Amino acid sequence: MGSRASTLLREEEIEEIKKETGFSHSQITRLYSRFTSLDKGENGFLGRIIKIPESPMCRRVVVSFREDQVNFKGFMRTLAHFRPIEDNEKNKNPPTSEPLNSRTNKLLFAFRLYDLDRDDKISRDELLQVLRMMVGVNISDDQLGSIADRTIQEADTNGDNCISFQEFIKVLEKVDVEQKMSIRFLH
Amino acid sequence: MPPKRRNHDIIEVENVGMDVDAEPDSDSEEEARRRSRNRRSKSQRKAKQVSEDEDEDEEEEEDEPPRRRGRRKTTKTDEDETPQRRGRGKRTKPQDSDEDEEGDKRRAARKGSKASKKKAAKETSDEESEEEKVGRKKAGRAVSKKEKEEQNKEQKGNVKGKDGENKDKKKKKKMSSSSSSSSSSDSDEESLSEGEIAALKEQVEEKKKLIATLRNKPWRMNKRLSLLKEAQDFVEKFEGALGKGKGRRLYAFKVMMTKKLIKFNRDFENFKTACIPWERKIKEVESHFGSSVASYFLFLRWMYGLNLVLFGFMFGLVVLPEVLMGLPYGSIPRKTVPRDEEDTAMDFSVLFDFGGYCKYSILFYGYYNNDRTIGVLQYRLPLSYLLTSVGVFGYSLLVVIRTMARNANEGGDGGDEGEFIFSWKMFTSWDYLIGNPETADNKYASITTSFKESIVDEQENQKDENIHLRRFLRVFANFLILCSLGGSGYLIYFVVKRSQEFAKMDPKTLTWFENNEVEFVMSLLGLVCPPLFETIAELEDYHPRIALKWQLGRIFALFLGNLYTFLFALFDEVTAKLETEKSIKNATEWALHQYYANYSSFYNTTDVPPPKVAPADVIRGPCWETGVGREFVKLIVSDVQVTYLTILVGDFARAFIVRFLNYCWCWDLEAGFPSYGEFDISGNVLGLVFNQGMIWMGAFYAPGLVGMNVLRLLTSMYYQSWAVMACNVPHERVFKASRSNNFYMGLLLLVLFLSLLPVVYSMMTLAPSFDCGPFSGQEKMYDVVIETIDQDLPAFIGNIFIYASNPGLIMPAILLMILAIYYLNTVSKAYQQANTDLKKKMQMAREDEKNRRNNKDSTNQVMKDLEDLMPDKSLAPPPAEEEKPPEVVIDKSVKPTKTKPGTAEKGVNVQKEVSLAAPNPRRPVTRAPGPRGGPPGNTRSPQPQPGKGRGQGAAPRR
Repeated sequence: MGSRASTLLREEEIEEIKKETGFSHSQITRLYSRFTSLDKGENGFLGRIIKIPESPMCRRVVVSFREDQVNFKGFMRTLAHFRPIEDNEKNKNPPTSEPLNSRTNKLLFAFRLYDLDRDDKISRDELLQVLRMMVGVNISDDQLGSIADRTIQEADTNGDNCISFQEFIKVLEKVDVEQKMSIRFLH
Repeated sequence: MPPKRRNHDIIEVENVGMDVDAEPDSDSEEEARRRSRNRRSKSQRKAKQVSEDEDEDEEEEEDEPPRRRGRRKTTKTDEDETPQRRGRGKRTKPQDSDEDEEGDKRRAARKGSKASKKKAAKETSDEESEEEKVGRKKAGRAVSKKEKEEQNKEQKGNVKGKDGENKDKKKKKKMSSSSSSSSSSDSDEESLSEGEIAALKEQVEEKKKLIATLRNKPWRMNKRLSLLKEAQDFVEKFEGALGKGKGRRLYAFKVMMTKKLIKFNRDFENFKTACIPWERKIKEVESHFGSSVASYFLFLRWMYGLNLVLFGFMFGLVVLPEVLMGLPYGSIPRKTVPRDEEDTAMDFSVLFDFGGYCKYSILFYGYYNNDRTIGVLQYRLPLSYLLTSVGVFGYSLLVVIRTMARNANEGGDGGDEGEFIFSWKMFTSWDYLIGNPETADNKYASITTSFKESIVDEQENQKDENIHLRRFLRVFANFLILCSLGGSGYLIYFVVKRSQEFAKMDPKTLTWFENNEVEFVMSLLGLVCPPLFETIAELEDYHPRIALKWQLGRIFALFLGNLYTFLFALFDEVTAKLETEKSIKNATEWALHQYYANYSSFYNTTDVPPPKVAPADVIRGPCWETGVGREFVKLIVSDVQVTYLTILVGDFARAFIVRFLNYCWCWDLEAGFPSYGEFDISGNVLGLVFNQGMIWMGAFYAPGLVGMNVLRLLTSMYYQSWAVMACNVPHERVFKASRSNNFYMGLLLLVLFLSLLPVVYSMMTLAPSFDCGPFSGQEKMYDVVIETIDQDLPAFIGNIFIYASNPGLIMPAILLMILAIYYLNTVSKAYQQANTDLKKKMQMAREDEKNRRNNKDSTNQVMKDLEDLMPDKSLAPPPAEEEKPPEVVIDKSVKPTKTKPGTAEKGVNVQKEVSLAAPNPRRPVTRAPGPRGGPPGNTRSPQPQPGKGRGQGAAPRR
């Protein structure tokens, strides 16, 4: 099994992923073995039918993979959002393209969790849906609506009753996203 | 060989798969480093081949994770390439090397072979100009020189690699596990992360390139020199990371230590969190019942901590010395059960009443002996008893006040943080790492609760209609409550007076009711008044947080009556006992005198032995201190019983009945009348506070009381948190408790003062019993201190005390203190003022910025003037909307295309939005730019969107 796993992952693929995501070689191989253990169909793709832990919010994360089937590269690309920002990356002169784990990209990832219809705006309905996921049936619909309205009202600056990504960034300006949206991957 | 390797691989894959979740095992990592270093130095002069063999073997046996990873990596590349080769046959070498270049170049370079140098040169020739190539070659030579030194040092000079053979070599290394030239340095490197190494390597490589090509750059000499120096320094410094150069050891060590430190810090933080007792329990309660209920449990926990410290004082300084070094039980009268009580002393009913053996035990004041010093340590127990009792008060005061001060700091910034309350809750409250359904449930509950809390706060903010009615109602409610408080106060007074009259009569002639009238009335008041207050408080319509404070204050006033009657009755008892004691004392003294006189006259000697009487038979006084202590202990015990029974009956049984009888009942029990109970915050907090007051008062007369209280709080914590989770439902209006529960602390402080007074009074004025307790034989209790000063301390200290107690000195000191308090108070007020000013400024700046961003006025001065001129905007007819500039219409037509259709249909309910919003800050602000006159050419506004400010910018201007 181990040998098969490694045969599926080619050296040049590793290099490519490394370049794109900034993971190290060993991290990639380890995550790959992880990926294969999730991959029940053994075809190199993760289908939609992964067993997700109970909470519906987690399902949003899976939806955020964006495709019906996730191959390893997509998997890594998503994971790369959660790579902590390292010190030596900070003071390095800014590379040509922004790394996936930059603050903006992390925020973008979070933004997409809420942007259900992928129109780059969070509308009231989307907020309501997410709210229902978050609180279940414990709060009446009226109040949920008020909360959504209030949220939009707080965040909305250009008055289109939606939260755009810019507004989203503005709202979460003071949140330590770099730290909150980081998972420690083993080296 | 191959099958074996495969086995290895499988194991490794599994291990590694699990490793993803685990921490890197840095201990073994370090060990490996140390070992390999040692071995390297040892085997420096040995035959290289052999030493490498050993390395490899041993490390295989140790099965260290880092090593494993390293090998895993190489294995993988092997495995990858094998089929590649087989499948595609011989691929052209240049291609291969290109692919491997990233990973293998450095290794190859480290080999320092000429071939690799050439290879590097070859590669660069593709990209770089001819001159650069020359420079590069030079650099390569320089580097290789350095490398060679390194190799010599490490005995790794086996030149192997032609670049095409890199893979073969690796394979060989793997299979024979003998000739890995870089095994030890690899394990060194593993202490750094792969990514770090790669990044550093890149950087160093870049710098080297820079050094090499510097000569050809069209720069000035100065710049070149400085750049060169910089680059050289960098290479020098960071080459260490790559396993060569001078700084290598140091660098590796440094990196390792920082990693260790970080890991340690993290672990330590985790450990600290894990050490906080009941944190999880309280969090669970908080997530279901809101921070208000949790605040009670936090208070309970704090109280437990305080009592633990007090118990430490009492037990360590008073109880333990007496047990270890004092006389044993039965040796002297005060430590013996009297003869006439002996029969019943072990009866349960007596013991339960803290009579019998309990009364003459270490629990109570009377047991302690009045020897000045006890044991081999010459421990001054009476002095320590007094000082500890006072110290308990001092410490409690200190802690309460310090906690209050700290809470005040916290409370300052936590109250009204920011403007994005709901947005933050919305976007950041879910924890995506939750994988456990139970935790997820808790999270649901806590998010729900926090939303509800925010909604309540919000509702409170916008509630300001009909201020006059509310004011009237509030005054009226306060009047009612004052009336009922006064009535109950008078009732208590009346009953106490009556009971004093009854006390003078013969108890046998009185009925049961007349005997227990005071207790009966007290508990009746305690039962009736709190709900009454709560009902009246509904008139006031306060925010529940404030309502809770009022409720607490009112019940506190009621309970004070309770306390007062208790103390009153106690004082009467004490004075009566003092009288009897005086007579008994006189009688015993007279008897003793008689005995001595008779003895001396009978035997005609002055050397009279003390009378031989068994300790149990000695006549003794009532020992009022022990009596008071017993009263307190009984009170605490009965309080515990009542509290626990109330929970069991009032909450548990009720919940039980409601839950299970609901199936066969004529109405819905859960929704209808009995329903489930809510957690009574005010009652519980006050119970805790008064309980603590009892402890403070009683600790002097019964040192064991503190220990009992610790037990009580401990059980209370578990019992109540179970009860609240099992039988109670959250409040209808869950509200957010202020983070600083300073109000509780304030009540506690007040009770502390109230309980301090009687104790200090009794210490200073009442005469201690003549035959029991540590102060027997003294005029006043504090004489112990004076005696110590006189006898044990040098004379000048005594003088100092005499001077210090001079009124001429005390008066100025008090004056000075008052002045200091006044000054500090003024200063703090000034700071507070400055604070609020700054806050206001920040708020203004924020609003200002917001306005500027969506300042519709900037484009449309005329409209703004028009609006300003309009008399009443809220009454303006709807056509005003049509007066708006055409842009608005355009925007509106655009909007539906942008948003989802659902949104467009429902639209944002403006009415609701307004009701949820805090209108006060917003209204005037949207208007404010008028006078300030955002000039038409406001360049700062990026995209002036006319008529669309703040969600409902123009719409409400009807």
